[in-house]
Amino acid sequence: MRIALLLDDNTTTAWAAAADAVGSFAVGCWLGDTETSSVVSAAVVATTATTRVAVGVRLGLENPITLAEELAVLDNISAGRIIAVVDTGDLDLDGAREDLGLLVAGLSARPIQHAGARWTVPSGVMGPDMPKSLIVTPEPTQLEVPIWLVGAVAQALSAETGYPVIADDAGQPLTQARVQPAILQLTGDLVADRDAVIAWSAAGASHLFVRVPAGADPSLLRGYIALHLAPEVAMVNYPRVMSHTLRPLESTEETASVSADLE
Amino acid sequence: MQFGAGLWCLQTSATTPRSSAEAYRQLLVDAREMEAMGYDSLWLSEHHFFYDGYCPAVIPAAAAALAVTTKLRVGTGMLLLPMQQPERVARLAGRVAEQSGGRFDLGVGLGYRDVEFDGKGIARQKRVGLHKQGLEAIAQYAEPSGVRVWNGSATPAGVARAGARGQGIYLSGANPLSLVRDLAAAHRQGWEDAGRPGGVRPRVAALRNVWLADTPAEAAAALEYQRASYVLYAGLGWSVAATGDTPTMDFKKDADAAVAGAVATSIIGPAEYIIDGLTAVSEAGVDDVIFRVVLEGAPQSAVHRVLRRLADEVLPHVAHLEAAA
Repeated sequence: MRIALLLDDNTTTAWAAAADAVGSFAVGCWLGDTETSSVVSAAVVATTATTRVAVGVRLGLENPITLAEELAVLDNISAGRIIAVVDTGDLDLDGAREDLGLLVAGLSARPIQHAGARWTVPSGVMGPDMPKSLIVTPEPTQLEVPIWLVGAVAQALSAETGYPVIADDAGQPLTQARVQPAILQLTGDLVADRDAVIAWSAAGASHLFVRVPAGADPSLLRGYIALHLAPEVAMVNYPRVMSHTLRPLESTEETASVSADLE
Repeated sequence: MQFGAGLWCLQTSATTPRSSAEAYRQLLVDAREMEAMGYDSLWLSEHHFFYDGYCPAVIPAAAAALAVTTKLRVGTGMLLLPMQQPERVARLAGRVAEQSGGRFDLGVGLGYRDVEFDGKGIARQKRVGLHKQGLEAIAQYAEPSGVRVWNGSATPAGVARAGARGQGIYLSGANPLSLVRDLAAAHRQGWEDAGRPGGVRPRVAALRNVWLADTPAEAAAALEYQRASYVLYAGLGWSVAATGDTPTMDFKKDADAAVAGAVATSIIGPAEYIIDGLTAVSEAGVDDVIFRVVLEGAPQSAVHRVLRRLADEVLPHVAHLEAAA
């Protein structure tokens, strides 16, 4: 199971660079005001190099074609590192199904021709001479942008589409899909947090976003999550001595300081 | 006078192919370079459903460029406001301003391509009303967060309305200087007639086709970049209505004449010639000049070189200029 940072009220976008530096598989940007997740995510993709960025996309507030355009731009800025966390918002299942379908079509680089209860694309409102289909450009960098679901009708939508729902209760049965994301609030207590990530792994989660405790600083990513939590779920029967040994010196200043002490 | 450059459209075109990811990677490189050279602003542009990937989502692109800089302003020239949900655009813009320390310039325009309106399900005939709703949402949600608003228009009535709101205007590089002068005057008059809202005259920014060239060969290459860049407008089908002494410029009906007219606005030559040209622009009532140097076919190295030379050889001599009343 892989572990990622989930940005929330306890963190800022500055945490993203620190997460990138320690190899966090992703930085989640969908909590809080999901309406503005795209611009928070833009700042994160621009200031990170390898970590994936989970972008919040709330359905029901904007044309799905426009949402697809934003995702495609973010995917290109990040050279193919985004995950779309689609929030079904206030839509019912029918509405969410239509909007999600149009969003996915908009990311396909294929000609779109859609007539539904909520949207008609192209609409024909500009007369009969308009093209009968359209292609959203630019195309994303990824072959297929990953889509993970949250929201009131996410479970029902997942059952129809196969896109995973981000789980938040390790006690509930999980799908054993190829990807099963989940969320965990860390406490700062090592024993409890270690047990919690192991529980998620045992339950079948493949990707775990963690929220950090209030008052934490970015050193938590290296000195706690990367050091103690990530290794626990990277192999069976992790030898904890690896987390309790002295880490290699990182900076030339630190090396020089130790060398001087030894002399 | 303040100086910026544009327009970053993030295209991968038939004649200048590259990946879209490379276009966006280069945007972030260019933003850092622009800031290091001392420019005030970088400007993006928006279109939809065009084959070359012309940037359809300028707010996220601006947010990315702002995230890798600390002083540079980044603007949209233009975001096509009627095609988007007004409150959402305003909230996004406000958030970008907040996370960039107020360095976001939101330029908004009406849009003109029928295929874009049709794709978004919005009748072009409703664009003025939708634009007005958008401006109201921006006033409510974006401007309190520090967003600076610019209005794209090529009509005296349109720029006068912007002046009456106390907002700046952003004029096309294809506009001849005669039209720029008329529009700047109408903008100023609109502001004064409205009782000078805000107390400080809102600024007039103008894209200008500027290229520093020492030799006839360099000048010829620059003119060719300009010509190729305006062929794009023929593909998009842009037009500018006649105003005063300025004739219609219609890239759809007479592309050759329109391209020639747009290229004729170019200020291309050695540093002294550019300085004289920018002085004339300020005398037309322009406060801020955006160098239109990101052009079809112009290699990245050539764009960087001309920006560097303009920064070193021209800007120190024109920074003191003030728009003529």
